Amino acid sequence: MSATVVTLWLLNILLDTFGQLSFKAAAAGPGLGTGLARWKAMAAQPWIWCGVACYVGEFMVWLAFLSLVPLSEGVLLGSINIVAVMIAGRFLFNENFSPLRTLGILLIASGVAVVGLA
Amino acid sequence: MTDLRRFYLIGFFVLVCFDTFAQVCFKLTANHAMPPEADLAWALRVFSSPWVYAAIVCYIGAFLTWMTLLEHAPIGPAFAASHLEVISVMALSVVLFNEHIGTPQWIGSALIIAGIVCLAISETDGDKPAA
Repeated sequence: MSATVVTLWLLNILLDTFGQLSFKAAAAGPGLGTGLARWKAMAAQPWIWCGVACYVGEFMVWLAFLSLVPLSEGVLLGSINIVAVMIAGRFLFNENFSPLRTLGILLIASGVAVVGLA
Repeated sequence: MTDLRRFYLIGFFVLVCFDTFAQVCFKLTANHAMPPEADLAWALRVFSSPWVYAAIVCYIGAFLTWMTLLEHAPIGPAFAASHLEVISVMALSVVLFNEHIGTPQWIGSALIIAGIVCLAISETDGDKPAA
């Protein structure tokens, strides 16, 4: 992988993880109410717009990334986002890691490493 | 087959289709807008491609399908279905873009798919989903 491809790959991980966590922060806030009121309360939170901005950025970064790598390889390398979001969720939202979840994360990470380092 | 089972199967199938076609449309957009450059000209080339709009439609379709499924389906299988598009995207990459799947890609995809299955089972067992 060239330096540009690696940079785009890292940017994609950062934007995807930060975007998902922003959505989570917006959705998990206390006292949001239900139904339409809930959506309005979420729309008033900066976090939701932070998430939207991340996703727009990720959209363009992913397009640039796919311009440089084959689609089959890109989709495999992109699987690392699952791992990044889970690890970030563990630290920020204290989500638990069962042994099976740890195994899944290790398998995905090693699969991405095999594809990326080949 | 019960109606509920049929509902899940159709729902998962629709979800995988949306996710798969979104990635194919992304690749077609990327090819249309070559070469990638960090400037306005590239962004204009991207949005002059019909495929970018097809990708957005697929994204919205996937999102709506996902939300509908989550109301009823257990999170584990839903999680697996939303990430196992890796398999269908790889298959279509070979057919549509004449891509070659080498040994590292075969090994890597086997590891990744095994990992996704582990995560799906762990979510079914009652872990809270990460996102």
